[in-house]
Amino acid sequence: MAKKLDNKKILACCANGAGSSLMMENAIKKVLTRNGIKVAELRHAPISEGKTASRNYDVVFCAKTFVNTFEGVEASGTVLIPLKNVMSDKEIEAALAERGLLD
Amino acid sequence: MGVLEKIVETGNYSFIDGEGVTWQEAVRLSTLPMIKSGTVSEDYYKQIVACIEKYGPYVVFEHNIAMPHTQENATGALKTGIGFMASKKLIDFGEDEDGEKKEANVFFTLSSTNPDEHLDNISQLTEIFLNDPLIDALAKATSPEDILEAAKKYPCEE
Repeated sequence: MAKKLDNKKILACCANGAGSSLMMENAIKKVLTRNGIKVAELRHAPISEGKTASRNYDVVFCAKTFVNTFEGVEASGTVLIPLKNVMSDKEIEAALAERGLLD
Repeated sequence: MGVLEKIVETGNYSFIDGEGVTWQEAVRLSTLPMIKSGTVSEDYYKQIVACIEKYGPYVVFEHNIAMPHTQENATGALKTGIGFMASKKLIDFGEDEDGEKKEANVFFTLSSTNPDEHLDNISQLTEIFLNDPLIDALAKATSPEDILEAAKKYPCEE
């Protein structure tokens, strides 16, 4: 059965695109595998790049600190998910479920 | 070889008391063995400090773990590597955006020049950060032998 997040594009952002965004990407990967979801794209980027690129993604994850950077992105239909703990697959799973993106 | 064993092998470790040490100084101290091993330049820590000053203490995670880092191929990053530092006292990083106090006694300072190697480091570190008994043991480490013993005693699943 097709999943809601199948073929979607997901972006994980942090300040440098070298630390926490990688951790987020790993944790997101765990959640997707566990739920049998096959996304079209999952990648990480620094805030500087992610800010403009975010419109091209269906879901954008970032550490809570950076949430202001993405102000307005949701107007273009992108789902923005700020995380308290960037390596917590449980938090990611709960956040997706809360937004009705897991099935 | 796991990242902890590699940290010991390259000599990228330090142990401090931490009394009265600012987070800026702690970041600098964590890079000292990395300078010695040719992993980063003497000025590398300044970029990390500037980044935390700009964005806040987002590099401090749950369980008093700090992962100071900058971007890939930053000036002063000479090799991909990790610098481990354990501090007896908690180092104060101020408050996060929710007003929550951020403190750290275990430091994993990162340097990256090779994306693949760096990604592997991050993956392994994530497992270590989620391994509570291992982090507790590492926080109390005062010698490289303590690091190796902790790694052996509390292995990560992957």
